[in-house]
Amino acid sequence: MSHPVAIPKLGLTMTDCRLVEWAKKDGDKVERGENLYAIETDKITSDVESDTSGYLRRFVEIDTMHEVGAVIGALFATREEALSAGTPDAAGPSAPAIGEAGPAAVAATAPVVSPAGPTPGQSGRARVSPLARRIAGQANIDPAALKGTGAHGAVLRRDVEAEIERRAAAARGAVAAVPAPAVPAAPEPAVPAGAGDLRRPLAGMRRAIAQKMMHSLQSTAQMTGFARVDMGEAVRLRKACVAAEADLGVRVTYTDIVLKACADALAAMPEINASIVGEEIVTWSDVNVGLAVALDDGLIVPVVRNADRKSIAGIAHERADLVARARAGSLARADVEGGTFSLSNFGTYGGDFETPILNAPQSAILGIGAIADEPAVRDGQIVIRPMMMMSLTFDHRLIDGAAAGRFRARVRAALENPYSMMARMR
Amino acid sequence: MATKTYCWAIIDAMREEMERDESVLLIGEDVAAAGGSFGATRGLLDRFGPMRVRDTPISEEIIVGLGVGAAMTGRRPIVEIMFIDFLGLCLDQIANQAAKTHYIYNGLFKMPLVIRTSSAAEMGIGPHHSQSWEALVGHIPGLKVVMPSTPRDAKGLLKAAIRDDNPVVFIEHIALHRVKEEIEDEEFLIPLGKADVKRVGRHVTVVATGLMVARALAAAETLAREGIEIEVVDPRTISPLDIDTIVESVRKTNRALVVTSSLKQFGLGSEVAAEIQERAFFDLDQPVKRLSPPFTPAPFGRQFDEYLNPSADSIVSAVRELVA
Amino acid sequence: MTQDPLDTYRRMVLIRECEAQLNEAFAKNLFPGYIHSYLGQEACAVGVCDGLADSDVIVSNHRGRGHYLAKGMALRPMMAEMFGKATGVCGGRGGEMHAADPAIGILGGNGIVGGGLPIAAGAALSAQMDGKGAVAVAFFGEGASNNGSFGETMNVAAAWKLPLILVCENNLYAEMTPFEQTVAQPDVALRAQGYGMPGEVVDGNDVIAVRNAAARAIARARSGEGPTLLELKTYRWGGHFEGDPRKYRTRAEEAEWKARCPVARFRDVLLDRHGLDEVNVRKVEEETAAEVAEAITFALESPLPVPETALSKVYAA
Repeated sequence: MSHPVAIPKLGLTMTDCRLVEWAKKDGDKVERGENLYAIETDKITSDVESDTSGYLRRFVEIDTMHEVGAVIGALFATREEALSAGTPDAAGPSAPAIGEAGPAAVAATAPVVSPAGPTPGQSGRARVSPLARRIAGQANIDPAALKGTGAHGAVLRRDVEAEIERRAAAARGAVAAVPAPAVPAAPEPAVPAGAGDLRRPLAGMRRAIAQKMMHSLQSTAQMTGFARVDMGEAVRLRKACVAAEADLGVRVTYTDIVLKACADALAAMPEINASIVGEEIVTWSDVNVGLAVALDDGLIVPVVRNADRKSIAGIAHERADLVARARAGSLARADVEGGTFSLSNFGTYGGDFETPILNAPQSAILGIGAIADEPAVRDGQIVIRPMMMMSLTFDHRLIDGAAAGRFRARVRAALENPYSMMARMR
Repeated sequence: MATKTYCWAIIDAMREEMERDESVLLIGEDVAAAGGSFGATRGLLDRFGPMRVRDTPISEEIIVGLGVGAAMTGRRPIVEIMFIDFLGLCLDQIANQAAKTHYIYNGLFKMPLVIRTSSAAEMGIGPHHSQSWEALVGHIPGLKVVMPSTPRDAKGLLKAAIRDDNPVVFIEHIALHRVKEEIEDEEFLIPLGKADVKRVGRHVTVVATGLMVARALAAAETLAREGIEIEVVDPRTISPLDIDTIVESVRKTNRALVVTSSLKQFGLGSEVAAEIQERAFFDLDQPVKRLSPPFTPAPFGRQFDEYLNPSADSIVSAVRELVA
Repeated sequence: MTQDPLDTYRRMVLIRECEAQLNEAFAKNLFPGYIHSYLGQEACAVGVCDGLADSDVIVSNHRGRGHYLAKGMALRPMMAEMFGKATGVCGGRGGEMHAADPAIGILGGNGIVGGGLPIAAGAALSAQMDGKGAVAVAFFGEGASNNGSFGETMNVAAAWKLPLILVCENNLYAEMTPFEQTVAQPDVALRAQGYGMPGEVVDGNDVIAVRNAAARAIARARSGEGPTLLELKTYRWGGHFEGDPRKYRTRAEEAEWKARCPVARFRDVLLDRHGLDEVNVRKVEEETAAEVAEAITFALESPLPVPETALSKVYAA
């Protein structure tokens, strides 16, 4: 008798991962609870503990991709059994490499940045009818990624069939009539293939980003509103902080100041710090602000928790640590989970204004552009002011335009008079 | 063709079989001179005489025991237990003797015995005359259990039961006695253990028994106006249960509702639901639903009956939930 | 039916040897279940069955080997059935309380006290409808006479004049309770009057008395006059089952009844009244003992039924 070592599902939306380390060798004795191997998803590395004891036989090498549930090894009663065991078909060699024709996979709620509060289905498995599961399997669709229309969000046959139809339509190049949150099959390339074209599988983080973006756009009603902010006082504040860098122990950035302004506004307007989850509207008790961090090969959104209760310097310390670890690829899963709002600074690469995409199920994201001196009218006079464009994308299903406007105004007021933020600080 | 009531269909079945086979006899309380407590043995005494049609004392155990002993010695007795509620008085003869004799003696005996009995569930006559015990007898190996819902089924199934070499508990429902149906004049049998699809549909399989069949059909009319087509499957025989036909239907509709007069707990619905999920789990798009009376005795009075039992309306609601 | 007294004796000895040797097998842990011993009651079964033909039927109870052997069941398949072997008369699935042979009118035993009485009435109903003079016999104990099935059977048998002989073997103990402690009136036969049929108390340890009483009841049944209740007063030498410590009675009482041994009593009659030679009688005893020993060996050596056969014959095809 052997006990399979199978890839666990570590987050609601995890569908595949890269095996990055085996902590044990073939024939090693493994105790229950010991670290057995490590996997990486979306640049997050997680250690996986053994759920039982036994002697290990590894079926796969590191740096290979595996779907959730794939059997990558087995634990045997004796060392001899472990060493003499082959890679049994019955144990199921690891699933095919992702990206070839692997099933699309995005869950109904956000992946990496899942909210702090309880989410239906987060702890248990997705509600998928047996029939839907079977049909989805035949069509190479991950049913857990579909939005269920049955009772309590159960995915039923009709949901899978709608997805199949939608993919077929997408494949025909038609506009999908039925919105569904999953990556459509790629249409045939319009450009004739050339000899020098570089092709690589849509996999790993890129795949996750692709799925999240599509899911966000297809499952929410996104609207973006803009505000121009006079950053004069914020510039002065930032200069003062930079001057005190040695004392503060960190170099404060504009991002930190804006993040703080957002956090305070969220604490004051809980209707923005909320999500639609299934058939419920959840107002989150914590204000956890995700910060989009560009990486060489993608994007990740680590979370500053309870930012409304932290000082600008405190936020700066935390931000510096998260960004460094994001770039080093050493973020923990907890670092990227639980965001209730996101902030994206496209000014860092020179952007003026963009329309950010919601990090579902969050209901709002604020994008900020570069600060640039511009002519402004003050007291009837044209003056030069350091101006910044702010774009707030919000889920219009939950947040009305007026509320979004009030939120923007509150953030702007905080940035134009940042001393009030500091005055309120506990 | 002639229009027959359920009651006369039963009388016809017995008369035809008694004419055909001299070994068939009928015994029970009030079955001879009185023509049956519910009129279901009218004319048989006159036709076949007191040797083959016998009134008994109110002694349920000997009524069934006479049938067991007679069946073991070459007769094909029909015995009548007036209400299914009275089975408690003769359960040893049914469960330990009739049901097991063929088995215990390794086939040395056959047990061609029909135990005709009646359910009066929902007729407002109180806790000792209102039970639906088909699940109780369905739990006993060696017995066959039949529960016709229409006159034609009643006739064809009773004739088949009389010719069967196994003990058959044949459950008639008194509320169905006056239901009429066109029945062919030619002889026909309906095999035991074969379900009947009473209405073809594609959205939900509704398995209904006895009194519930007509309600499921009424619900089907209402639902059809909403564009919901239910398939009504009447097992007709409770044991052996024709699960194949039920599963075949569920494979088509992917949704199942079981409607019974048998109580929900350990009931017929539980058995059907369990079989469906074992055999057709990956064809199910919704959990199998049961609609059955709650776990309580049946108090006296129609208002309780209406409150406790499935109705066409509750079937409609349950189906709507399944297709929602 | 037999009129040969040596044959009657042979059957009594057969039952005696069967029960004695089964007890030995049980003591050696060679027997798989309960033994409900018939020791001491041999005259009852033999006396009644001496008056029956193969076309007459009997319905037995949980203490049935005496009835089976008296009615003529083949020894080896019966013995194998007791041991639950595939060569048994029911393929081993009936066991110690169930054996049948419809060809010679044995409709089986019963594990339910009182369960066989209504069945015997049903068989009598068949016999009545056939009109060929056959009769049915229900063997039961005084314990069963307190079961509802007894009253229902008595009443219908009398009301319908069924050709039924109700043979109550009153061995004084209803399982482990003295019968007299459970009734106000200890003669079962007296109940017959209340149901409108004759009842007779007979010395159940006297095979001639039993045979004569049974002959009267059988004749009455055959002639269409209806049922008779015979109460055969006898004694169960063993406990309710082998191993029963028998705390409910004294060893002195057992010795007293063993002194009235039905087999020894009839042996004396054979020697004294019928003038049979001791050598011939002994020869019958020895042959019979050897026959039983051989049957037990056969049973022990026979295979058990294959477990998968448990799934067969739940229903007749």
